[in-house]
Amino acid sequence: MPSITSFNLAHVHLLLNHVPTIGSVAALGLLIVAFIRRDEGLKLVGLEVLFAIALLTLPAYMTGAAAFQKLRGQPGVSDTAIRLHQDVALYGFTWMEFAGFMAWVTLWQARRRGRAARGLVVTSTALLLVSFAVMARAANLGGDIRHPELGGAAGTIDTAEFLASKISNVMVNSPWAWPASETAHFIGLSLTFGVLLAINLRILGLMKRVPFADLHRLLPWGMLGFGINLITGMLFFVGQPKQYIDSAPFYWKIVFLMIAGANFLYLTVFRKAWADTRGAWTASGADKTMAYVSMFAWLAALYCGRMLPFIGHAF
Amino acid sequence: MGLLVWLESLPLSVWVHESPSIWAQPTVLTLHTMGMAVLVGASSVLDLRLLGISRSIPLSAFRWVFRAVAISLAVNLVTGVLLFMARATLWGTAFPFLIKILLVVASAATLLPIRTYVLQSDPEQRDVSSRAKMLAMISIAAWAAAITAGRLLAYTVAG
Repeated sequence: MPSITSFNLAHVHLLLNHVPTIGSVAALGLLIVAFIRRDEGLKLVGLEVLFAIALLTLPAYMTGAAAFQKLRGQPGVSDTAIRLHQDVALYGFTWMEFAGFMAWVTLWQARRRGRAARGLVVTSTALLLVSFAVMARAANLGGDIRHPELGGAAGTIDTAEFLASKISNVMVNSPWAWPASETAHFIGLSLTFGVLLAINLRILGLMKRVPFADLHRLLPWGMLGFGINLITGMLFFVGQPKQYIDSAPFYWKIVFLMIAGANFLYLTVFRKAWADTRGAWTASGADKTMAYVSMFAWLAALYCGRMLPFIGHAF
Repeated sequence: MGLLVWLESLPLSVWVHESPSIWAQPTVLTLHTMGMAVLVGASSVLDLRLLGISRSIPLSAFRWVFRAVAISLAVNLVTGVLLFMARATLWGTAFPFLIKILLVVASAATLLPIRTYVLQSDPEQRDVSSRAKMLAMISIAAWAAAITAGRLLAYTVAG
């Protein structure tokens, strides 16, 4: 297997780091125009874009940690400047995931009510605004890393002061934090997997007489599992980034997670299927392909995750 | 103890434990985790339904769950036995391992009365008896406890 560093993850970071800021502007623009025009359909599009950005913010953060390892110790690069950028990005990531989660809740509920609830759209937009502000600050600090002539704000900050260091400290030194997070990660994956198994099997032809819309109530439980695993997974990554950033199966895992996440969004806004309240809907070939892709992506993500200690890189 | 030593010395056990091949311990362990995802996932979906989520779906629509459970239970029995054989003297003498096995057996046992209840339900039946709800609650709690016990083995026994 080729070394993961051979296709330079720092470059991937330079590509992905634009998503949280520029993507936010796009989503904000869509949502604001939707409000002005009172366009319900456009609101949903804005929320879908927001969810996609929240997904892509994950690899944006993670490739950043890889870039950090590449850059550190090089002349003209301030360790503190990188850590400050990373820490603000971690706050930005957290806000962005909240915003993405609210967008998902809004989209899910819109399917039941026929239109997005005003309060939820406003909340999602407000969270997106906060994420954008924090991410813009992170982007600004990121620029300081390679451009000290701009007059970076870093100076000298005690490493232990950073949020990432504090999380890492707890994850590594507490006797229960890592095992407890792993346990929650396993329970979360079972929950998500079970819900998607039920929905995908319905698409593939099982439970045919059950109206597709009746399965809609299960989706939030899948999202709950996904949320548990996003939080605990992030705790592992921030806790011990070096275990993951040069591990090939880890990046494959993230790729499969992005596919699975995109599929989850697709399932949430699966208009023609959710409109079926009488059990009359049957899946097209494309829908069935989607269901197979979904099951494959989840199993592949699980495979890559469980194989982390064995392929390429030992813990 | 003699039996455990013998089990551990079988060529298959030695292969699972010591082979550097990706198909040995790594694959057996990963299949065990995949089996867990299907097993706990499918039974949790049914438990959620019994507890009142997606109430509009008749119970009889969930017959597929028991097929998924049977397949994944078989996978995990085979992979579990292999993992046990590979380090029989370690697992066979560890109290936390016994707890895990008891929890798995207890979780799987809750599925038997749930299975009878669902298979005997009227094709259009949507109401759930309070006894079945109680079983579903026990089932969810037992699986969560079994996963917890299983994961903690890596820290208590094999750590």
